[in-house]
Amino acid sequence: MLPADFLKAGIKVSIRFDLKKSIAGFDIDASLSLEEELMVLFGPSGAGKTLLLKLIAGIIKPDKGTVAIRGDKVFDSGERIDVPMRGRRVGFVFQDYALFPHMTIGENIAYGIPEKKDALAAEAVRGLVDLMRLTGLEQRYPREISGGQRQRAALARTLAAKPGILLLDEPFSALDYQVREKLRADLLRIHEVYPVTTLLVTHDLEEAFMLGARIAVINHGRIEQVGPREEVFYRPVTRNVARFIGFKNIFDGVVAGIDANGLIIHNSDMGAVRADAPSGGGVAVGGRVTFCIRPEDIVVVRPDKTAVLSSPSNVFDAYVESITGKGSTQMLFLKVGYSHVAGERGASIKAELPNFVVRKLGLCAGMKIRVLLKKESIRVIA
Amino acid sequence: MDFFPLYLTIKVSFTATVITAAAGLVLSWLLAKKDFFGKTLLDAVIMQPLVMPPTVLGYYLLSALGRGSALGGFLSDTLGIDIVFTWKGAVIASVVSSLPLFVKPAKAAFEGVSVELEDSARLLGKSEFAVVRSITLPLAKRGIAAGAVMAFARATGEFGATLMVAGNIPGVTQTLPIAIYDAAQSGDGFTANILVGIITVFSLTVLYVAGRFLKGRD
Repeated sequence: MLPADFLKAGIKVSIRFDLKKSIAGFDIDASLSLEEELMVLFGPSGAGKTLLLKLIAGIIKPDKGTVAIRGDKVFDSGERIDVPMRGRRVGFVFQDYALFPHMTIGENIAYGIPEKKDALAAEAVRGLVDLMRLTGLEQRYPREISGGQRQRAALARTLAAKPGILLLDEPFSALDYQVREKLRADLLRIHEVYPVTTLLVTHDLEEAFMLGARIAVINHGRIEQVGPREEVFYRPVTRNVARFIGFKNIFDGVVAGIDANGLIIHNSDMGAVRADAPSGGGVAVGGRVTFCIRPEDIVVVRPDKTAVLSSPSNVFDAYVESITGKGSTQMLFLKVGYSHVAGERGASIKAELPNFVVRKLGLCAGMKIRVLLKKESIRVIA
Repeated sequence: MDFFPLYLTIKVSFTATVITAAAGLVLSWLLAKKDFFGKTLLDAVIMQPLVMPPTVLGYYLLSALGRGSALGGFLSDTLGIDIVFTWKGAVIASVVSSLPLFVKPAKAAFEGVSVELEDSARLLGKSEFAVVRSITLPLAKRGIAAGAVMAFARATGEFGATLMVAGNIPGVTQTLPIAIYDAAQSGDGFTANILVGIITVFSLTVLYVAGRFLKGRD
């Protein structure tokens, strides 16, 4: 067991920051606030995720802005506050773990323990070794253990210093798939035992969805959307966010009409498309909008079975260009709104279907089908 | 057979290596880890003895430390320390000429310690001093040891600068290399051969040990 005070160290710690930094032609300008939770900072490579973590930790000095941990300012360019790294109580796990190669795993974990009393420190190490499934490896050196064990050792070392907040930089990116799955589950379990406020950086969509109760999406140094997982995943507020979170079908259109049923959007390839109006409003007849739909939300119907569809709207003729297997599902590359000549104009749509559906419908490349874009599955971005 | 030159050489080289290592550790850490005004110039000044004739170096030291100079006069009149034509002069000549041989590998070793490891230690609450002591130094120790061995070897072989600053006073400042020169000049082939034999075996041993340090495992 961990000593009781370990469990209290990181509880109810808020982080608030508002930072600006220009570095090597890259601008970052981001503000965020999180509290007692595991938040995922999600974005593509080069979006500024790691840089943002380094600015919060004090590894790189921001040009302007503030960082407050538990309400205490640790950086404020206006008031000239700049608490050095050692005073911020920020736990930071680097992407390649940065374990000290000349120390054993036990020594690594004990390194940051603030307790002076050996007995307490030893107890804390035992508790963390146990929690991180590292029993028996205390005497090994980092080069003598596996990648997954190194990752857990790095996390144990960081937690041993009783950080107020925890910053994790792509903690699982260097590991293979199976190990990653297990460690993600470990992280959630540890977060329950030790609910330290955590900001985890990843470019992996699945990881973001699995770990983040709340998700912040960052692109080009700007945070484009922050919200609960479902909110971000199903209601992206920008075209970029939609793209990053897997809305592979993104189209432009003009609002042709608004009625009690929602919007009628005109798209040059598909014609009239019906969609629910975005909850935030901001759409008007004649206005340009972006609308998008996830590949797994597209319903594929054989042309001879159209009768099963209850509503005739948003049903389009389509042509299967190709099919690519993705393991348990298959990705169909479709042309919608084609004029009976393959490849001529038409919107490209990707539909993801389970293997058994593809088999049952007998789908193959070159086939003519119909697709239904369910009105409630379409997300409109004003 | 007079073994004073051998004794003096070991005494001078050992003292010089201690001073070189102390100053060299600070200098190489600064050059490897910090940015400051005049860094490139400092690096060049430390490395200069590698490419300058030792007599020129000795001449500089003689001018700076002789009783006629401000520094030499102060040391002699106020503190009662005479440098020129004493074994201390030989130490200073050895320090200056061996410093670059220490700094080069030590600086490279410090540069080889990843900033990420040091930042990890800082983020775990450690002070700059603790970071150097527990992370940077242990991980750079092989390069530092190699530098110390090279500096010691250089100090034992120091000739030109030592001759200029400390002179050639048998029984006072006559080191091994100077004694060899002296013996050869005066036609004492027996003494010259023995001393040459000693220094050859010694320097070979030092280089072998240094090589083992650099190749050895962590």
